[in-house]
Amino acid sequence: MTQPPKPTPPERPARHGPPVEVAQEVFDVQGQETARLLARVVGTNALESGGRDEVPWVRVERERLPHVAERCRDDQSLRMDMLHLLLAVDYVEHLEVVYILLSTQTLRKAMLKARVPANDAQVPTATHLWEAAHWYEREVHDLFGVTFTGNPDLSPLLLYEGFEGHPGLKSFPFHDHDEF
Amino acid sequence: MTTTDQRQVDMMLNLGPQHPATHGVFRMLLTLDGERIVDMEPHIGYLHRGSEKLCENESYGQIVTLFDRMDYIANLNNELVFVRAVERLMGLEVPERAQFIRVLLCELNRVASHLLFLGTYGLDVGAMTPVMYTFRERERIQNIFESVTGARLMHNYIRIGGIKEDVPSDFTARVRAALEFVKRGVDETDRLLSFNEVFLLRTKGVGVIDAKTAVSCGLTGPNLRASGVPYDVRKDNPYEVYPYLTFKVPVGERGDCWDRYYMRVLECHESISMIEQCLDLLPDGPTMTQTRRIARPPKGEVYVHAENPRGDIGVFLVSDGSDKPYRLKVRPPSFCNLVALRPMLLNSYVADSIAILGSIDIVLGEVDR
Amino acid sequence: MNEKPTQPSPLFVPEHWQRPKQGRFFDTKEQGAVSLGKGNRPAPSLIKSAAPGVITARLDELAALARSNSLWTLTFGLACCAIEMISTHMTNHDFDRYGVVTWPSPRQSDVMIVAGTVVKKMAEPIRLLYEQMPDPKWVIAMGSCATNGGPYWRSYSVVMGVDHLIPVDVYVPGCPPRPEALQDGILKLQEKIRHDARNADVAPDALTETRS
Repeated sequence: MTQPPKPTPPERPARHGPPVEVAQEVFDVQGQETARLLARVVGTNALESGGRDEVPWVRVERERLPHVAERCRDDQSLRMDMLHLLLAVDYVEHLEVVYILLSTQTLRKAMLKARVPANDAQVPTATHLWEAAHWYEREVHDLFGVTFTGNPDLSPLLLYEGFEGHPGLKSFPFHDHDEF
Repeated sequence: MTTTDQRQVDMMLNLGPQHPATHGVFRMLLTLDGERIVDMEPHIGYLHRGSEKLCENESYGQIVTLFDRMDYIANLNNELVFVRAVERLMGLEVPERAQFIRVLLCELNRVASHLLFLGTYGLDVGAMTPVMYTFRERERIQNIFESVTGARLMHNYIRIGGIKEDVPSDFTARVRAALEFVKRGVDETDRLLSFNEVFLLRTKGVGVIDAKTAVSCGLTGPNLRASGVPYDVRKDNPYEVYPYLTFKVPVGERGDCWDRYYMRVLECHESISMIEQCLDLLPDGPTMTQTRRIARPPKGEVYVHAENPRGDIGVFLVSDGSDKPYRLKVRPPSFCNLVALRPMLLNSYVADSIAILGSIDIVLGEVDR
Repeated sequence: MNEKPTQPSPLFVPEHWQRPKQGRFFDTKEQGAVSLGKGNRPAPSLIKSAAPGVITARLDELAALARSNSLWTLTFGLACCAIEMISTHMTNHDFDRYGVVTWPSPRQSDVMIVAGTVVKKMAEPIRLLYEQMPDPKWVIAMGSCATNGGPYWRSYSVVMGVDHLIPVDVYVPGCPPRPEALQDGILKLQEKIRHDARNADVAPDALTETRS
């Protein structure tokens, strides 16, 4: 299927209305405890941390992401045995890959984040840690073009063969595709 | 020597995307060695509608309609989890009456969803009759939904900060009358199907998955509990008015198809008892908080999850302070449940593949989004 | 005396069967809830053109009567509308009383109810299924997604209506349509089948061309 070159998407109009508020990030009791445990497990790998309610987050280097995730999984106080969600967010200048981990035993949740430059979107795979990572990584590869090095199969999962572009990215336009 | 040669040849079998038993447009390629499945490759994406991308271009109030259409059997549960994510970001307190009505309707929807499963699972393994009975009860529940929300399927009823409008005056009487009917119906299906000898032969010990693999695959909901992991968001991380309700969480032992089926029957009973408790406790008061028409959550990100009939649904929401979300990602329970299909199917017989696929109860609208 | 004799219209077409001249969007107020597309019209009857007569013409209509009262639909649910389609088949809205039986194979079915969103990945399988169905065959586009993309019209992966792929006979609006709406669609399809049999010697496109 030959597609004509896509025009650049129009700029998002400047928003009107009240000034942007920033949400206050406050931990609850469980969140404080989890944040403390997480900080101990992640240790010096942490670049930045925060969180709200019961979900703390920690930002690490992208090369260390699976390593830190493995430590969270094997640590006796956290025991994050389920990869609840793996996603990517497009912040235009960089992408952010987020792991959301959950423990079915200690009932704690945590987020691990890593910044990925948009022109060199590569992250080590986590498929050796959780079965669920296979499909999540294929999906993120589909929609955002992030390559997970070491993943044996990154073929399109949701999109069809031959789809051009990565529709999850902000640069992918709305509704200027070919009519079928 | 010919026999060894013949054993080398595996047979490929394609199932779907149009297949009456795949519950939608799911396709899988099975590699068979005789009757035994040695490899399996699932293909999804035949219903990929790009909902998550569309959400970035809709205002928060409009997104509720897209969530309706994601898991199209449990619409109200889907609405609830999205609305909770926005409310948590905005710091809204929802009136108690609205919370009770939300939980009540969600539990009703859970019963409706499980009834659909009980019927169609019977169809999958060859029992034609139960689906006729379960749909009769399902229609009763849908009539209640219609009287409350105005729609049979796509409700758009749970709004940011409350619910669309208060329930009609005869709501309590209607629900109680329907519950009597539904309770009888669930019992009837239970007696008809659960301990039927043919049904037991088709499902007992088929598609076994142990707890460790199940957790690693991200299996949640009744499927995970059938494997013996007592994880339920309603208990472990209670939201809305679930702390006020007393209910048990059924947990299975073996993690086979029958366990997964029977979890749903037991959950129907629990849900019915929860609905009755909600009706007893239902307070008076407003059903909507005072909030702006157009929701503008503050800048930030939030992760909220809840218990759907199919499992643990999560919403990750990034807001940039405007009236449209910057990024919205759904954790679809069916998607993760499908990951667990491969370990279940390997080394089972091809005749059991449909029974196994049916038992994890996928909804393709949610898998592909 | 100078007046030219006006040519009588070759066939009678009810007003509500006309397709609008431009666009694929229907004004539902004027056309009733269910609107009709061009569909796959059957070939002109050979018997009728070779030996025009009362009996053969009636045979065609008789066949149409039989066909229209035993429409076998392909068991084919795509998305949300499939749930309402199942509801229509089940106890409360018994579809069987119209002779509509659901059938799991395209080789023996007459009607394809496209119940749900058609995405580009699914386009090829749908066309394949349609080609596997034997003639005469009909298509019902159920719900707004199958009609024109519905709530997903902005999406990058959705086909804007199944009529981009296969000819559609009846459009049933709604998101999703109630079971009653689908029943109405089937009744309209039956009406159309009988009408087509009565006017089978008219060229397939005459129905629309005579109007312009």
